Amino acid sequence: MKKFFLAVRTGAFKGLKTGLMLLKIMLPIYVLVVLLKYSPVMPWLQEGFAPVMKLFNLPGDAAVAVITGFFTDEYGCVAAMSGFSFSAASITTIAMVTLMAHSIPVESAVAQKIGFPAGWLIIYRAFMAVLVGIFIGWLGGVLL
Amino acid sequence: MSESWSYIFYEMYTGCFTTILNLLKVLVPLMIIIELLIQYDVLEKLSRKLEFLGRPMGISKDAIFPLLVGVVMGVTYGAGTIMELNQRKPLSKRDFALIGVFMYLCHGVIETGFLFGINGANVFVVVVVRLLIAFFITCIAARLPYFQKMEH
Repeated sequence: MKKFFLAVRTGAFKGLKTGLMLLKIMLPIYVLVVLLKYSPVMPWLQEGFAPVMKLFNLPGDAAVAVITGFFTDEYGCVAAMSGFSFSAASITTIAMVTLMAHSIPVESAVAQKIGFPAGWLIIYRAFMAVLVGIFIGWLGGVLL
Repeated sequence: MSESWSYIFYEMYTGCFTTILNLLKVLVPLMIIIELLIQYDVLEKLSRKLEFLGRPMGISKDAIFPLLVGVVMGVTYGAGTIMELNQRKPLSKRDFALIGVFMYLCHGVIETGFLFGINGANVFVVVVVRLLIAFFITCIAARLPYFQKMEH
């Protein structure tokens, strides 16, 4: 039983510590995305990405979340996503696309370190993100 | 700017609070679960039960444990386990490559399940469908000549 409580205490402490670290990245992303949303650049971005996002059955705004996720991480994607309001189906599709390809700079570095070819991994993940995005986008339109 | 500044600042202010709360709702339970999994060697026991999954995915039973760690707890934990194993008894080239194929599509399912679940995604799709996608892709990859040729 002592082991159990020790694990809960260490876990809770680690959670708070990691949370503080992540907030330093998430809050600036969130603030920037809200600024971007109301800036004159946004309609232009929306229209520019609308054809690509249509592939995934997503509105043009979703590009901001997907691109943020690609370069930062899932937490960045969530921060960017919460700047807009999406339907449950769209959130699920954005989540799946981002989950296939996220934090490319960091995870590629980790991959390289343990010996995976980083270049191929990026191509593979981006390709799968598109494939899965089309599939889940279609599924979301049918089921959710 | 298409809205007044006071409106934008108000939105940022409330949004930041929700972000902080949602993040803690994810991370505190997640870290507690991970700590419990480590303390009670859950994944080591579970990996022995899941050995049968190695055959369709073309990996040996030694590779199940590091893969499971990566898939359940996250890439950093998975990479750490692989490095630790390599010091004792290195994984075969093919096991290693196929772990990569699976793990880079689907890792940290507890973390991402919580994170996207709390933010409104369908948890079943984010966890189960993703696991299935990664599983089938690995099964297909194991049958490609590129992976077949590797030593195992």
